[in-house]
Amino acid sequence: MAPFLGNFSLYLSLFFAISQFFVSKKNSKLKAKFIAIAANGLLISSSISFFLLMYVHIVSDFSVLNVFQNSHTTKPLLYKISGVWGNHEGSMLLWILVLTIFNYFIFRLYNKKNSAFISKTLETQAFITTGFILFTILTSNPFERMIPAQENGLGFNPILQDLALAIHPPLLYIGYVGFSAAFSISIATLSLTNIEKIPWYDYMKSFVVVAWTFLTIGIALGAMWAYYELGWGGWWFWDPVENASFMPWLLSTALLHSLIIVEKRKSLQAWVLLLSILAFLLSVVGTFLVRSGILSSVHTFALDPSRGIYILAFTAVLGGYSLILFGTKSKKYFDNNYFTFFSKEGSILVNNILMAVVCATVFLGTVYPLLVEAMTNNKISVGEPYYNSTVVPIMIPAILVMGIGPILEWGKEDKSKTFKKIFPSILLTAIMSVFIFLIYQSYSVIGIAGIILAFWIISNNLLFLIKKNKKYSIGMIIAHLGIGLLILGITGSSTWQEEKIIRMKINDKTKIEKYNIVFEKINEIRGSNYVALQGNFLVYDEKKNIITKLKPENRFYPTTNNFTTEVSIHTNLYRDLYIVLGEGNLNDGWVVRIYYNPLVIWIWIGSLIIFIGGIVSMNINLRKLKIL
Amino acid sequence: MINKTFIIIISICLIQFFSNNSYMVEPDEVLENKKQELRARNISKNIRCMICQNQSIDESSAPLAKDLRILIRDKVKDGKKDKEIYKFLTDRYGDFILLKPPLRLNTLALWILPFIFLAIGIFIVFSYNKKSKKI
Amino acid sequence: MKKQLLIILSILFLLILSTFFYLLIIERNPFELPSNLLDKNVPSFKAESLLKNENFISSKEFGNEIILVNFFATWCGPCRDEHVYIKRFSNEEGLRVIGVNYKDNSSNAVEWLENFGNPYSDVPVDRDGRIAIDWGVYGIPETFIVNSKGIIKYRHVGPITKKIYKKINLLIKEIEQ
Repeated sequence: MAPFLGNFSLYLSLFFAISQFFVSKKNSKLKAKFIAIAANGLLISSSISFFLLMYVHIVSDFSVLNVFQNSHTTKPLLYKISGVWGNHEGSMLLWILVLTIFNYFIFRLYNKKNSAFISKTLETQAFITTGFILFTILTSNPFERMIPAQENGLGFNPILQDLALAIHPPLLYIGYVGFSAAFSISIATLSLTNIEKIPWYDYMKSFVVVAWTFLTIGIALGAMWAYYELGWGGWWFWDPVENASFMPWLLSTALLHSLIIVEKRKSLQAWVLLLSILAFLLSVVGTFLVRSGILSSVHTFALDPSRGIYILAFTAVLGGYSLILFGTKSKKYFDNNYFTFFSKEGSILVNNILMAVVCATVFLGTVYPLLVEAMTNNKISVGEPYYNSTVVPIMIPAILVMGIGPILEWGKEDKSKTFKKIFPSILLTAIMSVFIFLIYQSYSVIGIAGIILAFWIISNNLLFLIKKNKKYSIGMIIAHLGIGLLILGITGSSTWQEEKIIRMKINDKTKIEKYNIVFEKINEIRGSNYVALQGNFLVYDEKKNIITKLKPENRFYPTTNNFTTEVSIHTNLYRDLYIVLGEGNLNDGWVVRIYYNPLVIWIWIGSLIIFIGGIVSMNINLRKLKIL
Repeated sequence: MINKTFIIIISICLIQFFSNNSYMVEPDEVLENKKQELRARNISKNIRCMICQNQSIDESSAPLAKDLRILIRDKVKDGKKDKEIYKFLTDRYGDFILLKPPLRLNTLALWILPFIFLAIGIFIVFSYNKKSKKI
Repeated sequence: MKKQLLIILSILFLLILSTFFYLLIIERNPFELPSNLLDKNVPSFKAESLLKNENFISSKEFGNEIILVNFFATWCGPCRDEHVYIKRFSNEEGLRVIGVNYKDNSSNAVEWLENFGNPYSDVPVDRDGRIAIDWGVYGIPETFIVNSKGIIKYRHVGPITKKIYKKINLLIKEIEQ
């Protein structure tokens, strides 16, 4: 019964999406009522569909193909739930749900004054939603049945059974999918005339803040999962699918900042309209890369190309229409306001340009191997070294500017005045930097540059916080502070990492930095759906006090015939101690890999603070919306 | 479906290995000469693990990665230059095995465009600055 | 200026979309790598022979007739699965197949061939995997077609399936002409 209802709800949502498209177009007396029915119906039917899919996963209804392929009775409840979106078909349902939620909030903006504008926005949003629901029904229906039902499912990849990974997709989707609202608003702005009184940028800003905030934390959680779970010692690999989430993030950061200029100076409107189109297009292209089977990546859902062709066609339609619309209708949004770069708007422009350059470079690196393959039948790789050579050097000036930008005034800035303003932070930066170098005693050039930059940002924003200057948006201060901390963590962990690889027998000792590590024993343990070999390592500091016991494991999951390594990490504010257990036996001992990773926790703390800054900003923006 | 089968097959092959498994750079592989070891590791970090997704052979636990790591160390000990070692590998596996795309005719655009993007960006900022002063 | 910029952007957009479209419609496996040794000479190598007393010397064996080279091992499941096709290459198509025994235990290999049949004219032993590296092998089983002049013409990664079996036979007929 449940699968049937779920499928029915999915078709129902298609009906509502198509209806919304048509009623938004027509001008009728009852327009508002019809739109209300469509938007509400769309939200309710997609929710029912989604939760029914969740239900069949929870009760392990293996007559549903999706449940059979991705679940197993021994999976813990939490992961049965997150398994709903851990596969292609289920995640499409999540995409649709989020689309309809944003659609609903666009609808809530509808009033007599902006009816034409919001109708056009809803029309666009409905078109997008229809496209995705149709895609799901035609090529990826999660409610497909498998009868007769098997007794149990194919289990699920144990590497993906992790809390951070479980929440990572929904948060990311609020990001990606949220940009659809900005896209729709942009289309409406370009399509209509006579909208001088419509504060489209205020509407757009609210949606962009929400989407950006969740995209940021979604990406951070993915990185956190990679670090804690994969055992590769790193958290970002420039994998094409990671890049697919990073590119919308870059553009939406630029978009967020440009919207401020639109608000305060009525300038850069054309740029904002273009950015909002590109950000969403990149989200859709990202979806394409992950699901079309065109790339090989840890993240891709292995699928057949016909699905890829649909998404590609859809991207072509959306992209073609929006870019042509922009090409023909954006003229009136270009202005002749120019800024000197020694001003707030100038620094935002610099930030924008740099974000766009980085985004273009990441896009180039991601797509280039495919271009080469298509044209020469040769395969090349574009890996981390490429991005380190190109993206990192460009981000450094961006960060530098980020430190000064908020201090500068709108319009031209008096240079001597600025110096007076930033002097305290220069001082604070110097003090903090020296302090850090005394602790870590590591002096590579990149390390120095990174630390100074990080503290530059941190001290500037701390001073803002302390001075409680009402001029500066508190959301921005918190978010920028978060970025400073993020850079601190990234610099410390990348440049000052220590690694030791040795073979240890039981009772052997080793030393890394100032820690003594003793291999106490090896245990065989059982988990709910795995068996494991667990190493116990005692960690002592220089005063011979025990700090912690690290217990890395090598697990075997019988249901999927998978081996995984579980890293054991001890974290504090200064550093992570990270141990991986390799292969071995009682006679020869085991291969042990130990990392000393300074300042890693600041990456996660920084991300969390950026997220909080976003939430604070969201609150302010949404409250403003209610007044409109 | 072809892709899925392939992944399963490769994983099965890897699993067969696990009983005599190897994890990343092993202590037995490490060269005594620290300079040579550093060279070997830097080269390894630029070599792609062919069966893994987006990992270098330095980090990978795959057996082929281990074989290549040992091969690289042998060649470093033999006195071969970095360039020669890379050529040895690309002759057999193609440019795909290099994580840092080499500068060739077909990667010219890849390496030049970021700087062109940056130049365009700087141009825009400067022209904005200039035009603002005219007003 | 702006119009030009947009035209450039649109052309790029189209180029990229058509590239993606092209890659989707041709038959391609994103996980598979084209061999870098195609149209090149067989790498020369010397190895112990599994079943014969004398060593296997590649320069003596290649360059006379079409040969299939199959990298296999007893611990490799898919190698077991494809073995029936390897036998068919030898028995039904009359092709000469050389089996390179990759990183294996020789007595296991001898037993394996006794149990499942030996289609190979020769079995050079690649104890440390260096021969495989010379051939650009990265995931066994792998099978190569070498023409009568000793040039590698084709490589398949993974087990031979019915489809690939037919394809290789067709290719060999083309090469022979």
